[in-house]
Amino acid sequence: MSADSARGPVAAAGASAILLGTVASPGVNDRTLAEGYVTQPMVMAMLASRSGRFVADLALNFEGASLKRGELNAGVHGEGYVDRRHPHTLLHELVGTGIFAAGPARLSLTAGKGFVPFGTDDPMSRPFVKYPVNHHLAQLLERAMAIAAASVGPIVVEGSVFNGDEPTGPYDQPNYDRFGDSWSTRATVRARGLELQTSYAKVKSPEHASGGGLDNRKLSASARYESNGRYALAEWARTKEGEGSTTSFTFRSMLAEGSIDAGRWTFAARAERSERPEHERGLNAFRTPQPHSDLSIIGRTRWDILTGSIAAQLPSYRKLRFSSFVEVSTQHPRSLTSPAVFIPAEFYGAERLWSFSFGGRVGVGMQHKRMGRYGVAVYKKMEAPMAGMNMQEDM
Amino acid sequence: MRSARAGFLLLAAIVLGCKDDGNGVGPDPLLTATPFDLSSLGQGVVGDRFTAELWVNGNTAYTTTWGTRTVNGVQARGNAVKIWDVSSSTPSLVDSLIVDGATTLGDVQATSDGRYLVVATESAGSMVIYSLTNPRQPTLVSRFTNADIANGVHTSEVQSVGDRLYAFLSIDPRGADRARLVIVDITNPAAPSMVFSQIMGTPFVHDVFVRDGILMAALWNDGLAIFDIGGAGQGGTIANPIQLGTAVTLGGKVHNIFWFRDQQTGSKRFAFVGEEGPGSIGSSSVGDVHVVDVSDMQHPKEVAFYNVDGAGVHNFSVDEDRGILYAAYYNGGVRALSIRGDLGTCTSDQKAADGRCDLRKMNRELAKGPVGLSFPVYVWGVHFTGGKLYASDMLNGLFRLSPVPAF
Repeated sequence: MSADSARGPVAAAGASAILLGTVASPGVNDRTLAEGYVTQPMVMAMLASRSGRFVADLALNFEGASLKRGELNAGVHGEGYVDRRHPHTLLHELVGTGIFAAGPARLSLTAGKGFVPFGTDDPMSRPFVKYPVNHHLAQLLERAMAIAAASVGPIVVEGSVFNGDEPTGPYDQPNYDRFGDSWSTRATVRARGLELQTSYAKVKSPEHASGGGLDNRKLSASARYESNGRYALAEWARTKEGEGSTTSFTFRSMLAEGSIDAGRWTFAARAERSERPEHERGLNAFRTPQPHSDLSIIGRTRWDILTGSIAAQLPSYRKLRFSSFVEVSTQHPRSLTSPAVFIPAEFYGAERLWSFSFGGRVGVGMQHKRMGRYGVAVYKKMEAPMAGMNMQEDM
Repeated sequence: MRSARAGFLLLAAIVLGCKDDGNGVGPDPLLTATPFDLSSLGQGVVGDRFTAELWVNGNTAYTTTWGTRTVNGVQARGNAVKIWDVSSSTPSLVDSLIVDGATTLGDVQATSDGRYLVVATESAGSMVIYSLTNPRQPTLVSRFTNADIANGVHTSEVQSVGDRLYAFLSIDPRGADRARLVIVDITNPAAPSMVFSQIMGTPFVHDVFVRDGILMAALWNDGLAIFDIGGAGQGGTIANPIQLGTAVTLGGKVHNIFWFRDQQTGSKRFAFVGEEGPGSIGSSSVGDVHVVDVSDMQHPKEVAFYNVDGAGVHNFSVDEDRGILYAAYYNGGVRALSIRGDLGTCTSDQKAADGRCDLRKMNRELAKGPVGLSFPVYVWGVHFTGGKLYASDMLNGLFRLSPVPAF
């Protein structure tokens, strides 16, 4: 769905969603849980000047309506959900970008609500339907931000300021009075489909919207390759929580994933080791009070996870695109604290957990691009479509 | 007199610090040498839930419970009040109350006349009042909740102001809702009514201390705030507290307060602040005791502190007759401090680099405990009453400890 005229701007729009079934065994307390969802329902739009110098991106996410209880996703945590992925905010992304040339350099300025230049791509634009445990260690999103970026040859440097507070619900907006209390920087080198990045972010009180919570110092490094239907990512991330230079808790993550296209099939695999904080849970075992009632945690848990996925492109119908997938994951959580208040094997009823997911994706018009980069940080050569999770802008 | 006592304490520390505990248990690095030990006289074991706050009322003790504990596949919420017979040295469990819809019962207190028991509930916020006509079988009188407290009642301090009885509720922040202090008139416990509600604390208000018409609120990074609620002559009332002054103690995170009234001298110069830093419940903690000179309530000032390496403080109980503060110290057990006299004056050797007096260097540390145990503890609360000392341990239950002996 694109509008194009000889002199006017370029516009594109699209929509997508995933119809998903998940069986988690055990989900909690030795119980097998089976649930179905409409997950990642999105409407996207893009408006650009014909020269490409000015671009506006919009993404609306309707998980607040379709995913209120959260999606079973063992190990995932954040924004008051645990072992279920939280719904994203309705206004997922609304940014404007201007791109300029300055001698051998290209510069861009971006402002709006969206992805902070830190870490790796949003899991929504990667080959798996289930999120990795490290989502809140390796990405920063849904913030009011201003980004300046510069590229010279294969090198891109980005810097941003943004509000530290995480959303408190799917219809929450950033606390604009906190805009600028946090910052990040990311350096990327890219060539021939290979991209190396390292980034650092200092995030003020992300879990206490009114301020006063622990600050995060976040570090990320990754190598990403994408070319001719092959994709690979290896990343390392670390978040230190504390005040000033004092560190109270440290959480680390290592993740490697890849996919390969074979005709209409896409095969993908992921291995992850990530640490997460444990918090007191509410009456609903999948929810934690947000914010928590103090600064303490009830332990740290290390999650070792292996995931495999097979996706198949299905015949399209008119402008509708379809694909189906099956995804299997196994998780082994263990406590890193002693004495442990949260003992995973006791809580879940088993030392090893399994997750089986299946379903179909449907999309029309503009497809997911790589989510998390704007302006000169967008690497056009790496945005080739991938089966089941196309990321190409329809420009 | 003070130097003689200090000399005795130092001598005792040297002698007793070298003694063998006799149980074959290696020295605990957190249990540094102190003149006296707080020995366990008896333990009431709680293994099904995590134990939280305690209150002792005559020969009956009440302990609350916290969070979720899973043992052998059975998950138990922190929705129980355990009722103990403490007429002997070893607490004996006699019954339990279950509070519907609660995941944590963070606070419990009996009224000073012993007629009622007040319990705070999280994460669904409410205040529950029981009759103690039969202390071993409390009966429900009322359960109070409204939109202002629904996010969770972290603590409920019960005190009289004038001729009326009030519960001071510290309310959790939730989502975009900020923390607040709510005051409820419970003079008629069957019909509690809210008389004050105001946003307070950044990001929390966790506790208050009320005495003589003065309200002291623990406002986390906003410090210790002092309000006139009728006792300071500044026009404050329970429905319209007037702030007199604030002291932001070093490090903030003001969690709890005890305003000490020395029963021997009548002095009310010092308030003690517990700093609750970020720890890992069950295994680690951090945070100091801060001493605030409140003799000028418009300009309260921190003058001293007490630190335990590797452990952080939680709740207090004070033997005001003898001037001894007992502090729950989570994984550091229980500490006893001598708090009588001038805590704000010390030698240069007894000062920290920032100029505050260090109670440890002033030989104010009297005792630690429970000693001689073969398992780790994580002490939430202490209660000194009737010459007896009790401690609630999140991991293991209720201890009766030997208090500091005469010295």
